[in-house]
Amino acid sequence: TSVQTDWRVNVLIIVLTEMRDKLRKWREDNHRNSEQIVDVGEELINEHASKLGDDIWIIYEQVMIAALDCSRDDLAWTCLQELKRQFPGSQRVKRLAGMRLEALEKYEDASKQYDSILQDDPTNTAARKRKISILKAQGKSAEAIRELNEYLEQFVGDQEAWHELSELYINEHDYGKAAFCLEELMMTNPHNHLYCEQYAEVKYTQGGLENLELSRKYFAQALKLNNRNMRALFGLYMSASHIAASPKVNATVKKANVKYATWATNQINRAYQVSYARCLL
Amino acid sequence: MGEVELSCLAYVKMYLHGCLFPRCSVNGLLLSSSPAGGAVCVTDCVPLLHSHLPLAPITQLGLTQVDVWCAQTQQRIVGYYQANACVSDNSPTPCALKIADKIAEQCNNAVLLMIDGGKMSPDYRVPPIVMYERKDTRWTLKDKHTIMLRQWEETREIANQLLDSGDHSLLVDFDSHLDDITRDWTNQKLNAKIAELASPANVCTWMSRVEK
Repeated sequence: TSVQTDWRVNVLIIVLTEMRDKLRKWREDNHRNSEQIVDVGEELINEHASKLGDDIWIIYEQVMIAALDCSRDDLAWTCLQELKRQFPGSQRVKRLAGMRLEALEKYEDASKQYDSILQDDPTNTAARKRKISILKAQGKSAEAIRELNEYLEQFVGDQEAWHELSELYINEHDYGKAAFCLEELMMTNPHNHLYCEQYAEVKYTQGGLENLELSRKYFAQALKLNNRNMRALFGLYMSASHIAASPKVNATVKKANVKYATWATNQINRAYQVSYARCLL
Repeated sequence: MGEVELSCLAYVKMYLHGCLFPRCSVNGLLLSSSPAGGAVCVTDCVPLLHSHLPLAPITQLGLTQVDVWCAQTQQRIVGYYQANACVSDNSPTPCALKIADKIAEQCNNAVLLMIDGGKMSPDYRVPPIVMYERKDTRWTLKDKHTIMLRQWEETREIANQLLDSGDHSLLVDFDSHLDDITRDWTNQKLNAKIAELASPANVCTWMSRVEK
């Protein structure tokens, strides 16, 4: 009967809307939950492409990238063909083709692809960053660092690039330069507790009394911004304890740091007590 | 140097740790519940980090907490494992050597284990691991014949099953614990699952499947 069909269509619309909203949320939050995206996206594309309107294209892009992440070249290829057909000659699609070559470890070909994008559009930041990713994938850290520094001279506001550079420096044990990158990030993102906490960790790792005191200050700052950051809490405890135990500090400083360490210990114990209680519920 | 035996439990958790964070370098500690002296029996492992491996605070924190837990549970830290994000390079990084050195200070025949990401496929015939031991002050490659993984095929099957069922997401490393302290980095739940799969009844089922 027509009532039954209407009911079924309504359920379908609800389900589709939910799937579409999920994909949109993951896109907006830049989530790399590739397996989930492939799960939801593949079904949407295969069964319901016609009902998605113009959203289909951005979904093809999102699903393609997720498919590459999961070694699903079959799915990535399908998405790429659809996008090529709809947007012939597009730089954005060219970049996706390049990413597929990267996933297949055809780095030379991928690099050429990005070079051809940059020939037409030298300011194409996506292509430049993909080239740097290739260097990273090949283990060419020093080159990746050099290229990324050059990139940041031109595009000084690129947060993602500053963070990537800080990670590369950390892996090379170049803590001074990693700290510099994190300082840039903290300046432009003063409310981000994660940058404060990472900066504190780098300072702690560098060692020495001055760096320890800086690390304690920034662990404390991270806690001010987010009082549930456990790394910052433990970091505060550890840095304050080390300072208090140092033979180079006077009695006042020692006393203050013992106080900080004690405070941190109490907060940590409280946090764990709350978590145990939650587990028992 | 001596023989090293790697238990099913330790191997499976290490392997799943690598699988859970395929884009990151991961590391962890190898534990033994056997007394010191003689062959090294790695009976368990604690997955530690999947981010910022070279940074000191969380590593120190992890080492301390695992130390305390070991004292409470009659275990010892006998080694360290790491899997590099870049699968083409499985050589120990400076931070791996540093941590392994620290462990060797307390444990004579400590081992350093690198997981070879390039060889981690479901049907790989030998365990994708490379082991190092300390000779004088340097970490040198261990002779493969001194490394024992009893019942390798069953162990591999268990790892594959957990991956297929999605249960590898049960694994909690120290990093994840700090993100949500209600999560248990001693992995009691996952340990129970692995023990269940390793029980003789289950092993018989596979062997018959393998034989078919």
